[in-house]
Amino acid sequence: MMMGKKLVLVVGLILAVAVVSLSLLLGGGITTDTVTTQTVIQTVTQKQVAGTINGAGASFLNPQMQAWASKFYELTKGRVKVNYQSIGSGAGQANFKEGLIDFAGSDPPLKKEIYDEFQGKSGIIQFPVIIGTIVVVYNIPNIETQKLRLTGEVIAKIYLGEIVYWDDPLIKELNPDLNLPHEKIIAVHRSDGSGTTRVFTAYLSKIYKPWKEKVGSDFTVQWPVDQLGNGVGAKGNEGVAAAVQQNLYSIGYVETAYAYGSGLKIALIRNRNGQYVIPTEETVKSSLIELTKILPKAHEDWSKIFPDETVDPPGLKSYPIVSFSFIILRQDYDDEIKVALLREFFTWVLTEGQKKENIVPGYYPLPPEVAQIGLEGLKLLR
Amino acid sequence: MKSGKIFQISLILFIVTTLTIVVGIVISLINSSYPIFLRHGFGFISRSVWNPIEEDYGILPPLLGTLITSAIAISIATPLAISLAIFASEIIPSRLRSFVNNVSDLMASLPSVIYGLWGLYVLAPILHKYVMLPLHNYLGFIPLFSVKPTPTNLFTAGVLLSIMIIPFASSIIREAYTAIPYNLKEAAYSLGMTRWEVVKTMLGYIRSAIFAGVFLALGRAMGETMAVAMVVGNIMNIPKSIFDMGYTISSLIANQFPNAEAYKYMVPALYGGALILFTVGLIINLIGLHLVRRVMVKS
Repeated sequence: MMMGKKLVLVVGLILAVAVVSLSLLLGGGITTDTVTTQTVIQTVTQKQVAGTINGAGASFLNPQMQAWASKFYELTKGRVKVNYQSIGSGAGQANFKEGLIDFAGSDPPLKKEIYDEFQGKSGIIQFPVIIGTIVVVYNIPNIETQKLRLTGEVIAKIYLGEIVYWDDPLIKELNPDLNLPHEKIIAVHRSDGSGTTRVFTAYLSKIYKPWKEKVGSDFTVQWPVDQLGNGVGAKGNEGVAAAVQQNLYSIGYVETAYAYGSGLKIALIRNRNGQYVIPTEETVKSSLIELTKILPKAHEDWSKIFPDETVDPPGLKSYPIVSFSFIILRQDYDDEIKVALLREFFTWVLTEGQKKENIVPGYYPLPPEVAQIGLEGLKLLR
Repeated sequence: MKSGKIFQISLILFIVTTLTIVVGIVISLINSSYPIFLRHGFGFISRSVWNPIEEDYGILPPLLGTLITSAIAISIATPLAISLAIFASEIIPSRLRSFVNNVSDLMASLPSVIYGLWGLYVLAPILHKYVMLPLHNYLGFIPLFSVKPTPTNLFTAGVLLSIMIIPFASSIIREAYTAIPYNLKEAAYSLGMTRWEVVKTMLGYIRSAIFAGVFLALGRAMGETMAVAMVVGNIMNIPKSIFDMGYTISSLIANQFPNAEAYKYMVPALYGGALILFTVGLIINLIGLHLVRRVMVKS
């Protein structure tokens, strides 16, 4: 009996340690909230409603969504509870389509066919809630961070397997001062379907036509470099970060927060104006000023614009690989309280939620013009 | 009489439930996967391609990867599991016995994502530096070791799997070993056998338990998702050496399922993979059963 108790205690302790270290590793990316499909509703006053809204989708959005949800829960003193499950953009959209959840979080907006389908039924609105950036990272021992200069074309050629060695003339030409080694480039990419890959490959497609013809852009693509045996597939941003760290002379792409978190070296990327940039508040702002001009309204189709048109924006200092995360809502809910809750929460997200203290490191707040797209869209809820 | 009947009926109920569940799983696997077989036919199994943009899927590399990693795992784990079982029940002082057994059972109960993280951050770099690179540098002329290894590959996945399944196989073998009637052992010793000879004889006596343990462990190795997905390299290529990066069917499902519903044929393709995994597992288990029976008949 004593033995059994002790064993339970030991197992419990180990599990607790494991869970804590895991949540640290994944940057607090663990959702402990359970799924509740029914909404607990109690009307407090005429205007203020209480209840739960359930969402699911993109894992990229997850840390920020959890931060917003817990902050809002605190602010409303437990009146509004927001559950968000990190299950992936595709699964989130599918669940939303079947009406299992109230809102979906997604890296890319809805595809044209699905948008049209919704448009005919309950109506749809989709708007950006947060901005992320993707950086190219590398592991070359004698070259410091932010020293290696790359262009979209060179990156595409590396992942196509056309540039095999680090001392290739095309890379040397961009980096005359660096002592590049004659080593094979190991190209790391995501193995799981991911919005990050969708945006990254959209960038390569836009900048280098042969990439668009041979590979294209999607959650998962067929990487030509794999066929040469120089590719590595890794699961999740954290997997790519680990693979780049473990493989000497490798290159990879990750969401910016993961690059800083794991101390990876970040490459400078040449933008349209020939400037070599990394994501900073300034370069992201410059990209967004240009992007705001081409973004559609919340009830319109976004599939043609994002990410294929939003990557590589003009602007002197613009960082080229900027990405949005979207919230997708129906227009008709047939449930006044749900509509009130959704409107209240997302209005807060698009205003107060964009203030620096509510933004998780690694993300960037929306400029007011872009937040306005969502605020206008929320008026269509009924 | 009456209670006997109730007992019988309740047993039948349990059997029927279990069978229904298994049959239900098979039916739903077939039901969810047939579109991919209609689309690609045998090409779904015989080709190496995973291209969602073109909706073109062929899962030969993951199928081979599953077989290779499981084979590596089982060939490392079997001798170690048998040794551990004998050590824990024969050699070790009885005061330490329960401690060792508890640790081994604890190993079996650890969630696989922990093995995955440990495998990725700790095991893979160590294996790469001290095992794979030396093997490649000195024995690279053997095709098995011919590819210059990266830390994550089929071999790493196989070793990680072997570590995960040792406690499984070992605990079954250990239970069987300790269940051997004591007078058998006494008789063996009284014949003047050495300890080694006794162990050898006893192992022969529990052959079928050893087989059972190994096959159960093999089943777990083939079905492992998360841990393998983190260390196998996840490359859709037909492997030419055990240092090649690869894929397994389970890790393919773990990797691709979250966004699969964004495509028309990816969900059927993943279910198709699951169906094939199920079939391969079934075949291997049937062969195993057959072997066990032959061994039993011989003895």
